Parts: sequence; structure tokens; C-alpha cells
Amino acid sequence: MSDRQEKMRQSAEKLLRDGEVGYVIGWGATRFCDRTTPVFIDSPEGAASLVWNEHAVNSLAKYLLDDKYPDKKIGLFARGCESRAVNRMIKDNQVKRESLYLIGVPCDGKSSDRCRLCRERNPLVYDVLLWEPEANAAPADRFERVRGVEAMSPDERYRYWGGVYDRCIRCYACRNACPVCSCRECYVDMGRTGFQGKQHSRSDNQIFGVTRAFHVGDRCIECGECERACPMGLPIMGQTQKMLKEINELSGEYECGLDADSDSFLGRFDLDDKDEFM
Amino acid sequence: MSRIGVFVCHCGTNIASVVDPDRLTPAAREMPGVVYAADYRYMCSEPGQQMIKDSISEHGIDRIVIASCSPRMHETTFRKMLKGTSINPYMLEIANIREQCSWVHADKGRATEKAIGLVRMAVSKVSKNEPLYAQSIPITKRALVIGGGIAGIQAALDIADAGHEVVLLEREPSIGGKMAMLDKTFPTLDCSACISTPKMVDVGAHPNIRLMTYCEVESVSGYIGSFEVAIRQKARYVNHDICTGCGLCETKCPVKVDSEFNLGLSKRPAIYKLFPQAVPSKPVIDSESCRMLKDGKCGICAKLCPLGCIDYKDEARTVTESFGAIIMATGYQLVDWAAMYGEYGGGRYRDIISGLQFERTVNAAGPTEGHILRPSDGREPETVVIVKCVGSRDPKKGKSYCSRACCMYAAKHAHQILEKLPGSRVFIFYIDVRTPGKGYEEFYDQTRMDGAVYVRGRISKIYEEDGGLVCQGEDSLLGSQVRVRADMVILETAMEPSQGIEGLTSMLGAARDANNWIQEAHPKLRPVETQVGGVFLAGTCQGPKDIPDTVSQASAAAAKVIGLLNKSEMETSPMISAVERDKCSGCGACVGICPYKAITLQEIDDRLGAKRIKREVASVNSGLCQGCGACTAACRTGALDLLGFRNGQILEEVDALCL
Ligand SMILES: Cc1cc2nc3c(=O)[nH]c(=O)nc-3n(C[C@H](O)[C@H](O)[C@H](O)COP(=O)(O)OP(=O)(O)OC[C@H]3O[C@@H](n4cnc5c(N)ncnc54)[C@H](O)[C@@H]3O)c2cc1C
Ligand code: SF4
Repeated sequence: MSDRQEKMRQSAEKLLRDGEVGYVIGWGATRFCDRTTPVFIDSPEGAASLVWNEHAVNSLAKYLLDDKYPDKKIGLFARGCESRAVNRMIKDNQVKRESLYLIGVPCDGKSSDRCRLCRERNPLVYDVLLWEPEANAAPADRFERVRGVEAMSPDERYRYWGGVYDRCIRCYACRNACPVCSCRECYVDMGRTGFQGKQHSRSDNQIFGVTRAFHVGDRCIECGECERACPMGLPIMGQTQKMLKEINELSGEYECGLDADSDSFLGRFDLDDKDEFM
Repeated sequence: MSRIGVFVCHCGTNIASVVDPDRLTPAAREMPGVVYAADYRYMCSEPGQQMIKDSISEHGIDRIVIASCSPRMHETTFRKMLKGTSINPYMLEIANIREQCSWVHADKGRATEKAIGLVRMAVSKVSKNEPLYAQSIPITKRALVIGGGIAGIQAALDIADAGHEVVLLEREPSIGGKMAMLDKTFPTLDCSACISTPKMVDVGAHPNIRLMTYCEVESVSGYIGSFEVAIRQKARYVNHDICTGCGLCETKCPVKVDSEFNLGLSKRPAIYKLFPQAVPSKPVIDSESCRMLKDGKCGICAKLCPLGCIDYKDEARTVTESFGAIIMATGYQLVDWAAMYGEYGGGRYRDIISGLQFERTVNAAGPTEGHILRPSDGREPETVVIVKCVGSRDPKKGKSYCSRACCMYAAKHAHQILEKLPGSRVFIFYIDVRTPGKGYEEFYDQTRMDGAVYVRGRISKIYEEDGGLVCQGEDSLLGSQVRVRADMVILETAMEPSQGIEGLTSMLGAARDANNWIQEAHPKLRPVETQVGGVFLAGTCQGPKDIPDTVSQASAAAAKVIGLLNKSEMETSPMISAVERDKCSGCGACVGICPYKAITLQEIDDRLGAKRIKREVASVNSGLCQGCGACTAACRTGALDLLGFRNGQILEEVDALCL
């Protein structure tokens, strides 16, 4: 572990010393031994504060959206999940590959629950790979939870999601953490959308949940940042995953962020699109 | 606060006999923002329109709702009316209380309630309407006709006669299409060549028509008024600028391959004209069979040509041309019956031929000089079986649709056989006989009079026995099995869209129906238009039809094109998508979703704090956008909104209905 941490520090230090990047986004220590925090290192000396341990759970890519027009390249430590987010952001025209320096760090699995579902530990795109790729662990059944909800009766399901959204406090942490949420202005922040109220009620909360699922569902890279960020611990990736499962059933194997060229499922029109519902 | 006027139409009794205007009009008067409401027997009539105009000035009305028929019917009428008033033509909403209310409900009380609801929605929506202004785009006064069958020929001639330039593009070496292959045409039995070749010659000689044969469309961009079409001229290996079409070159070519025009019933050389009356009357070299082009050995035609036209180094060229309008006239082909009908021998028996092969056989210019001889041994058949609906009207096997021309040409074929081969017998197996056309039923009667035996039922199997073909099937009127020993069998096979239609329609953005025929914009009211502005339809590419229908449709499409090209610029609908750049993050979800390729990303200068940046935002091309609204649903942040159908307007309607 410390060997890898050392490699990361050295690589960040060199990049900064050579002026290759403006800053490097990585993980740093906190007061708590079981927590890390995202850090932005902008001097060679700062590189010494980088850490790499099982608690490096935050996916860092989202921070790229805070600085879409950087003067210098941004250095980003990229595991499988960061790299898939970057692919999606490139395809969504939100970041430019040329303005990134991706330091590939194959992941050994972190302490977060969501890592159980991880299907790609190694970065799919990078400028340098700091160590040998890791073998991908056989992930837990991808849609197990979705199937659980599907098995419910409509009434049960309504109670389930109603219960979930009764507890939602509409803090929008899920949106803030999601790497594919990239609107300049999110509809929930708008004054009068006409269909989404600001008040805290089951129906308004549910509308938020459903809308969120539709806005990101067909581009979701299943990194689980939404659930990690949710202070109420709500199982909200179940919704985007339901979308993904439907797409998989409708048109075959579908996974997002594996490359930077694929269209999102709902973002393309084809004369041969299935339209049996018409 | 808006000042809304509501005008309720009775449509004679169409509306008023179910929806009660005496309840609807007073109810409308009470709706928010309504300052005036009135009803009248025919709103669209001259006095009706005058009444609306008078009320507008009298009551200071600034927007109106007309409760009447479908907007597809009269929205344009009322927009035109508003042009003469103080109100912008788009400050109008139509509440459809006819098609969507009075015509479909019987309970008068509840229908009136519903009409009140529909008017309330329209009133809410119109309160959010904003004036819209049409833009105008210039029109390139030249048309492209794709496909040189009788449809394309007729359309090109009509447009050219009206004084506009036309390019007629054909992928074969000659124009003419299927009609040039036919012998006689029902119901009048005039000779097909005698009526089509003069038209072909006219096309070749017309000062306004440029023929581009042996050409294919490579790509299409642009929109109504200014399409850019890249056209690929295939290599001909013969310089048509100097060739006089003397035909000497064809005489000594050592190659013999199946003739496309005679459908394999005869051979042709590698340097060839499609048929003797081809237009242009000049040959091309088929690079797949020419020895010189394949092996570099031969060169006889080059030695023979007195003018030195042969150029074995000729290459395909692509030119890009601009057009204001495009007519699709790509026609049909016949289904590959051999692949579909194993029970008819799957192509193994030479004496089973398709209807089109029979046309070539019976044609005086065909391989047998018009003698009806069977292919296997060149003998005259004594008994001929004609099978109709082969591949048509059979959802399990082929196509579920009817190919429309076969009933009539089957009768024609029977008539021709009985006339040319006295004493012969003809059995026609049919499901129904369909003769809906002028003189068609009479023609069918005549054929039965001639002695053709019509047997109702499908043929389930054909096999060879003692040099003849045994056709086995059911006579469904008698309810018994029948067997006929025939010397020759003619299969009247289904029409299907020409090969390559998928690529062409996707380039143009035009839709196809479930059977791949090109989809018309509206089956009744816009039958010769596609959903793509400036792209029109002629002939069988839209669906099976015979020559009279093909020609009528071609002239109709030409009339549409002439109307368009007569203008030097045209107004585009302002009800298109608009981008709020501030909100647009340039994600491009709309670019991929737009069926008309109307959206591109465009770089703009912007500011981020003190920093000057360049970023991309969506930009809508007003010529291409058809106002379908797909992008507005795809745009997560709502940066795209459809003018005239803004999200806010639609939500206002929903609120009016639900709250
Ligand atoms: C056996 C038989 C007998 C018939 N007898 C009669 C009759 O007696 N009377 C009657 O009224 N009707 C008859 N018909 C129907 C008649 O053939 C059609 O109605 C008519 O020919 C249709 O003309 P069209 O121009 O639409 O199509 P076509 O004749 O098919 O012409 C289409 C043209 O477009 C060209 N083309 C296709 N794709 C492209 C492309 N991508 N780029 C460029 N060019 C392209 C083709 O090469 C062709 O030249 C008969 C049909 C059959 C099969
Ligand atoms: S409204 Fe339809 S046609 Fe117009 S830009 Fe949007 S998707 Fe394209």
C-alpha cells in the first residue's frame, strides 16, 4: 500500500514540478483514521499529503466540472470509476481530453459498500499507469436489487418508494456528487418549472426522484456516488439501475462510460429504433 | 392581462348537434382573461371571418381562441385571416371540438362539458402565446428527380415544361424503368413502348432537363430550398460527349452475360445499351464482365470505335449540386420468389417465370420476338397456369399488402396468351379479383369471355412430372383439391421497394412505413409529400400502384415542386425549437435525437468570471427544424423550448384541465 502511495506522490510531484499540470486531484488524510477527503494539490511540496488506502472512496471526477476551462491541464488520479466518468464527460462535451492528465491507478477495492458492484477496477483511459492492472473481482449480481423491487406488487412498490421519498430531505447531494449531472442550471434550482414544487412533500420528492432517474439513467456509470453522498442513506441508485436494466432488456448489453464515443441510449434517434409502443 | 376572444363554430350541425353552443359560449365568457365570446354557424366562411375581425377591433382583443374543427383543417385559414388585423397570426389557438369531441361522442351533456374543458385549455394556453415571426429562406430554382421510371420521367417533364431546371437521376444506364420492359398495358392494351419511349425521348431533348444516368446519390445535406446533393457518376468507360451511339462496339464484344433488361432470358455483351430504345442511346461498359477491365486482355471495342470514345481508364466522379426540391421516384422491384417459395421449386424449374419475364417474352422486341415459348425447350405452351398474389397478401410468407397491379396484369397476360395461342388454356389462381379502376372490370370480364378459367384458391405446390408442371392447390369455392398440369407457369409476384431505399431515405431523413415504402406526410391530405420539407413522392416508391396512378402522382408531386420553385424565397414555420444559450451546457443530447439533423453545436464567446472562454451551445437550423419537439424532451435543463408549444404553455393547459 505505502509503496503505491509513494508512487502516487512522486508522480504528482513530478507533474507539478515540470509544470505539466496546474493541480492534481487526489485523496488526502483527515482527522479520522477511516476517512479521506478529496484534495487539490497545486505545489510539488503538497504532493506529500496524498494518501492511498482503503478509505479513498470518493470518486474524484466530478470535480472536473468545477473547472471546465482550465488554463493548464488538470491532473486526476483515475481508477475504473473515475475513468468511466471521464469518458462520459468527454462524450457529453463537458471536458476535453486534452485538458486532462490522467494518472491511472488500478484499484484494489475500497471500503465502500458500492465497490461490491464494481465491474471495472482498472482505468479505461489514462496517460500513465502507476502500477500493474488488478484482476476484476467477480461483481455481485448487477441488478439484484432492482429485481427485488420488481418482484413487489404495485402497492408494495409504491409503499417502498413512498417510504424512501418521505425521508428524502431534497438536499441534492446526489446530484452534486453525480459525475454525469452536468447541466449549467439544474431544473430543481429553477424558480418555476411548473411541474416541480419546492415544498417538501412525498409527491414533490418523488417527482424529483423520477426526474433525476430519467435525466441520468441512460448515462449512469453505476459508480454509486449518489448513494454514498446521500445523508439519509436512500437506495436511489436503484432507480437509475432500473433504467439500465430496461435498456439492457430492450436493446442488449448496455453499460456507460466504457468509451468516449458511444451515444447515450436516450440521446440518439435512429429510423430503425424499436417503436412497438406506437 | 390578456384580452382573449373566444369564437365557437357550429360547423353547420357537425358540432352544434352534439355540443351545445348556448352552454359553451356563456361558459367561455366566464373564463379568465376572456373579454368576448360569440358563436356562429360557419366560422371559416367569409361572414364568419369578418365577424371575428370586427370583434377584434371592437373589443380590443389581443389573442383569440377558435373552437372548431381540427387545427390541421383550418389553423392556416385563421392565421391568414389574422394577417389583416392588429393581431400576430400566432396569437391564436384552436380548440378541436369536432374531431375530438362532437364526432366521437353521443352524450350531448357530457360532450358539452368536454368541449368547455377543451376551450378552457386553449384559453389558458393562448394567454401564454407570444407573437412569432416567420423567417424566409431563399429557394434554389432547380429540382432533382431520383429515379427515371415513368414516375420520374413524368415529374421531370412537368417541372421542366413549367420552366424550371430539372436533373433526372437514374442509376441504370438508361431511363425507362419497368414500363420500358412491359409489352402492352391494361386496360387499353396500348403498346407500352409506344407510349413511354416518346416521353423518354422528350426527356433527353428537353432544354430544361439534364439527364444523369448511371449515377447514384452519395449524400444529401441542407433543407427545403437549398439541398446539397453529392452525386456519384459511375465510370462508363465510354465518352458520351463524342459517342454517337452507332452500336458498332457492341457487335464484336466476346463477352456474353445475362441481360438485366430481359431478366436472364437472353444474353448481352459487356459493352451494352440497356435496350435498343435506351435514353441516352449510348453504351456503357460493365466493369464486372469486361475482359479488358478484368484481365487487361481484349480491347476490341476500342479498336472498332471510329471516334475513339472508349476509355478503359475512366473513373467514377462525384459532383455536388444544389437543388430547391427533391422528388423520390425510385419505384419498386419484384420479390425474390425463388428464395421464398421452395414449394414452387425455388427456381429450379425453368418454365416457371415471373410476370415481368412474361412481359419480355410476349414483347416483340424481346428475346423470343414476341412468340410465347417456354424457356426450357422453346415450345409453345398449351396450358398455362397464372398464380396471383405470390408473396402478396400473405403476412406469414411474404408481404401482407396487396400489390395492386397484379390482378389487372394477370388478366392481361391471360388475354395475351389466349389471343396469341389459339386453342390454349389458361387457369388463373386467385384469392380475390380486384378491379377498381376505370375500364378495369370490363377488361376482366373480357378476359373471362376470352376463356380464361379463374380458380379461387392458392397453389400450395408445383412439381415437375413428365416434362410438365403439376400445380396443386385448392379450389376454395368448391372446397376441393385441384391439380392442373401446365406447360408453363407465370407467377404474378409482389412488389417491394427498390433495393437501396433504406440508405437513400436515411440520407434525406424521410421515414419508411412498416413495409419499407416511403411514408407520405399524411395518407389523405398530403399524399405526395414526405415529412421532410421539400422532399416529395412519385410512383411506386410510396406503395404499389399501376401506371395511371403512378403518372397522376408524379404530376401531383411536380405541381408541388413547381409551386415551391415559383417562389424566390419561402417562409419557414416559426414554430420551431429555440435555444436559451445561457442554460445550454452543450452536451449535445439534442444533436443525436433530432430526426431532421437540424441541430449542430456552435462555438460562442462567453465569460466565466473575468475569464474569456469559448464554449459550445446548440444551434437550430430554421430550414431543417420541423418543430417535432423531440429535442425539447431530451434537453434536461430545458434550454430548448418549442416556440408555440413552450413547456410553460403546455403546463398551463394541463393546469386548466386538472386544477
Ligand atoms: C409484370 C408487370 C406488369 C405490369 N403491367 C402493367 C400494366 O399493364 N399497366 C399498368 O398500368 N401497370 C402495370 N404494371 C405496373 C407498372 O410497372 C408500375 O406501375 C410502374 O412501372 C411504376 O413506375 P415507377 O416509375 O414508380 O417505378 P419503376 O418503373 O420501378 O422506376 C423506378 C426507377 O428508379 C430507378 N432507381 C431505383 N432506385 C434508385 C436509386 N437509389 N437511385 C437512382 N435511381 C433509382 C430504377 O432504376 C428505375 O429506373 C406492371 C407491373 C408488373 C410487375
Ligand atoms: S424540434 Fe424537432 S426538428 Fe426541431 S430541432 Fe428539435 S428535434 Fe429537431
